[in-house]
This record gives sequence, structure tokens and C-alpha cells, in this order.
Amino acid sequence: MLFALFESSRSALSSIFAHGLRSFLTTLGIVIGVASVIAVVSVTQGMSAFIGDTFASLGSNSLTIESQTPTADRMKGIRKRLTAADLELIEKRGEGIASITPILYANRTSQVKYGSQTAFSQIMGTTYAFQDVGQYYTAVGRFLAQSDNQTRRRIAVIGDKTRENLDLPDNPVNEYIEIGGEWFKVVGLLETKGEIMGFNQDDLVLIPYATMQSLQGNQARTDIQIQLSLTEGADVENVSQQLTALLRNAHDLSASEDNDFVIQTSEQLMETFDEIIGMVTIVIGGIVSISLLVGGIGIMNIMLVSVTERTREIGICKAIGAKRHHILMQFLIEALLLSLLGGLIGLGLGFGLGTLIASSIPGFPPAAIPWWAIALALGFSGFVGVLFGILPAAKAANLDPIDALRYE
Amino acid sequence: MALIELQNITKYYEMGTQVVKALDGISAQVKANEYLAFIGSSGSGKSTMLNILGCLDKPTSGRYLLNQKNVEGLDQNELSEIRNLEIGFIFQSFNLLPRANALGNVMQPLIYRGLTLKERRQKAEDALLRVGLSDRMDHLPNQLSGGQRQRVAIARALVTEPSILLADEPTGNLDSKTSVEIMQLFDELHQEGHTLIVVTHEDEIAAHCDRVIEMRDGKIASDMAQQGVTA
Repeated sequence: MLFALFESSRSALSSIFAHGLRSFLTTLGIVIGVASVIAVVSVTQGMSAFIGDTFASLGSNSLTIESQTPTADRMKGIRKRLTAADLELIEKRGEGIASITPILYANRTSQVKYGSQTAFSQIMGTTYAFQDVGQYYTAVGRFLAQSDNQTRRRIAVIGDKTRENLDLPDNPVNEYIEIGGEWFKVVGLLETKGEIMGFNQDDLVLIPYATMQSLQGNQARTDIQIQLSLTEGADVENVSQQLTALLRNAHDLSASEDNDFVIQTSEQLMETFDEIIGMVTIVIGGIVSISLLVGGIGIMNIMLVSVTERTREIGICKAIGAKRHHILMQFLIEALLLSLLGGLIGLGLGFGLGTLIASSIPGFPPAAIPWWAIALALGFSGFVGVLFGILPAAKAANLDPIDALRYE
Repeated sequence: MALIELQNITKYYEMGTQVVKALDGISAQVKANEYLAFIGSSGSGKSTMLNILGCLDKPTSGRYLLNQKNVEGLDQNELSEIRNLEIGFIFQSFNLLPRANALGNVMQPLIYRGLTLKERRQKAEDALLRVGLSDRMDHLPNQLSGGQRQRVAIARALVTEPSILLADEPTGNLDSKTSVEIMQLFDELHQEGHTLIVVTHEDEIAAHCDRVIEMRDGKIASDMAQQGVTA
């Protein structure tokens, strides 16, 4: 049996290479299909590996708590909030927390001015603990201090991207920038962090939390975000359960009511990114499988032509003793090899393409190709070959020897 | 003991509403090592006779015993096996595989027997040596002359050591000089003990044979032993 397989493969290869150009054009559909799958997968896999690394460096044991208003309430104009009281509660009663900081996002303006330059940036009011929680460290100058918060000092620590956008000197310390009509003295410049999924982490302005509160006026209506990092050994699940119970109690939620806040771990954030990438992969994979289908039909078409062309040959083989399965195998293996060859070419082409794409976009992670993608691409193209080879092969095997011999 | 026994063989074709009786009650016996010709004009039924004898086609009715084995009721795969084991075909238009060289063509029927490459090569080389083509083994059919192609085809028929060699107008596509050479080869094969059945419409070819069956309208018109050229 193995031997017959070898014989059939040899003869199939000879017939594939006998019509080199035609075989290549036939399998082009498979080549393009597999190449696009591999290109997409290698790029997204590279990205996902990179994101994984980035989040690991971010510190996976940090939590973010935000308010969340259910849609039904939002229709009624109700806004759920996290307040300073919630922060205080967690600070006092939360367990396993290493550092905790409130973040208050600017709600009036995100405009920053320096001289004649205006730029838009993410402006956050926070405390010295953000350094630990968010893993932000200064390259020049100092970070926010506790006293800055207590005295509502008008100072700012800025990211490198913001410095660049505002045309600030390389060392921006002691320069003054304008936020919401107030002047802030730059005391520190953050180390650059790079991008995650095109989201620049270096375009931000940090000012003391209390200063931001006073800028926003009506303190009763502030909605803050709370970020905290856990102590070594603390379990993320346990802490978030405990915090959920604490906040539900504080917000007087009955058992039937949903949480009016969300606790996000950076792992969850990473999972979200992974989910997005997974979705993209699936959608593109779906589109691509259509192209493989079209490629398969192309193979079937040419195999049918080939069967007709070789009708007499088939007749000869039958006359000298070929059984149905000999002929069936012959053509099936030819279709299989044709599409597998296409799959292999597509694999190389796709990886090359992915590498090219990844390297042509600055800052993009290098393409990575997982083994399952290779197995999938080859498996799928082989499957397509067999699927679309069956009909022509069966047609060949069922030919009547007399008719086939008489065929001109 | 008869190698081939035909008992009241008929073969009918339906052409529209008309039924054509290609073979109409043929009974005959062929012994081992006979040298037999079927002759007749076109439409006499001799091609149908060849298809039935070669197990390419099944009779509408009647019994066909080949080597004491009843061929009746066998399916296509079983008929393929019979053809592979018992019959060596030699066709008018040679019917070689165009992409395989002479050696490959001769080895082809042995693939279906599951022989190893080494065994196949040995047998095929012997067969090509027998037909005098041992120096052309790596040539493709289109690099060979008509006579050489027919010799390759004869080698392919011989390589399986069949019970019958079945030739269909074996010199029909050859010039007269080459025809003579091929018929000489047939005569030699007969002398070596092979059973040959030749279907032809040429009297010169039939003249080589020991026995001539003339077909007319699907029936046997005459069945005569004759003084063959080689006998």
C-alpha cells in the first residue's frame, strides 16, 4: 500500500511538472489563500506576543476600578460615580494593597499650551502612588510628591511625546505650560514607554490630584478612577472579590442590582486585546478560507480537464490491469500534491510578506509564525486538494476501458 | 484441454430503437499455443470479439471460460485483475504511455501486481531484451519509430507472462517492411510456446497463422486450420 502510494506520487509529480505553468496557475489560488492566512497570522501573532511582554512589564498585579452606569440608568440621566469616599474606604479597609492612587481625568479640556504651541494630551490628576501603580518613572526631574497634593501645587510631570508635541526643550524642567487657563510648572519628564496597539503611552500630563479637583470646581460630582497595585503574593481574584463586596456595601446595592463599577485587572485588559486580535484573525481567516475554496474549485477544474486529456492513458492502464483504486489514487494524489505544493509556496510567501509588513511599519513587533498556523495551512490546503480531487478522480476511475481506449 | 472456451456468446448493442447484433451465437475453443487469426471486414464483429476475449467487455449472453475460469459475472476490478494476469494486449496504435520511457511502459503492468521496483526492472529489461530493444530502454515513445514502439508494446504484453497474447491489427500503423519484422517476431513467440490471437483484416497477416476464423455479421463464417508460414 505504502509502495503504491509512492508509485502514484512519483507519477503524479511527473505529470504536475509536465505542465509546469498550468500547474502553477492552478495552484495559485491556494498559494494566495495560504499566503494571506500566514501573513495575517504571523503579524497578529507577533503583535500578541509583544503585547504579552508589554503587559508583563506593566506589572500584572495591578487593578483598575471605574464607575459603570448601566444603559437603563444612563437613559434616565443617572450617572454612577466613584468618589473620594470610595477611595478612602478602600485605603482603610482593603487588604493586600501595596499602593493606591486616584486618577481624575480632565473633563473640561485636554488642551495644553506652551508658547505658541497647542497640543492635545491626556491630562490626569493623580498622586505620587501612580509611580508605583502605573510603573511610570521620571527620566529628568522628579515625580509628583505627597506635598504637591496637600498644597494643590500647580506642577506637572509630562510624557516625552507631549514634550515633543509642545516643542519643549529636551530638558523641560522649570518650563511653564498652560492647562485650562492656569500655568503649571514642569517638574519632571517621564521615561518613554512606547506604544501598545498604536496607543501611545508617552502622551500624557500628570498633575496633582487635588489640583485637578480644584480645577474642576464642583467636587461633589467628580467621578474618579482608582488604580492600585497588590502586595507580593496577594491573589488578584481574592482582592477584586473583596473590593467588590466592599464597594457594593458602600453603594447600598441590593443583591438583585448589578455592580455600578468595574474592576479590571491588567490581565483582563490583556485578554481584551487578545480577544480583539483573535476576532481579527477569525474574520480574516474566514475571508481567506473563501479564497481557498475558490482555489480548490480551480484545482477541481484543471483536474477534470486533465482527466479528459488523459482518458486514453487511463484506458491503457485499465487494459493492462489497473483497478479502480489505482486510477483513483493516481488522480487524488495528484490533486493533493498540487494543492500541498501551493500550500508550501504560500507558506513561504506569507511569512515573507508578514515579515515585510512588520518591518516596514516602524515600532511594529517582528512577525512570528506559530506551528499551529503551519499545520493549519498545510492541513487545510491538503484537505482542499482531496475534497476537490475526489470528483475528477472518481470520474477517471469509473471510465469504461473500451470507451477510454477509443477516445481520441 | 481448451485454454479458451466460448459457448454461444452474443453481444447486442442498442442503437436508438434498433438492436445491433455484434456477436450472434459464437462458439469456439482455443487451445494453448495456438496461433489464431480472426479475420473479417469492418462491422463483422471481430473487434467486439477481441473486447470480449480480452475481458474488456462482457457478453450479453453465453459463457466464456478462460483457463477454465468462468469470466461471467465478474466486476470491473476482477476483470482488471484477469487482464493483468492472463492477457497481453498489442494494439494497432501501440497505446504506450507518452510520458514514460520504454522501460517505464514495460514496467507499468507489474505495478498493479505490487512487485518491487527491482523485480519490475529485472523483468522489464528481460522483456525488452527479448524484443531486441535493450539499447532503447530510456527512450520516450515519441523518440522511437513505429516498429520500435510496437516492440515496446509487445514487451509490455510479454512481461506479465500472460496466457494469451491478443493483438488488434498489430501492423495496421506500420509500413510493410516493419510489418514483416513484427510478424516474424510473432512467429518466433509462437514457436517459443505462446498462444497468439490476432485480429486483422489483412490476408497476409492471417497467412502467418495456423488457424483462421472468418467472421461475418457477428457469426463465424468459416474456421479453418491452415498451413501456417511457420508451421
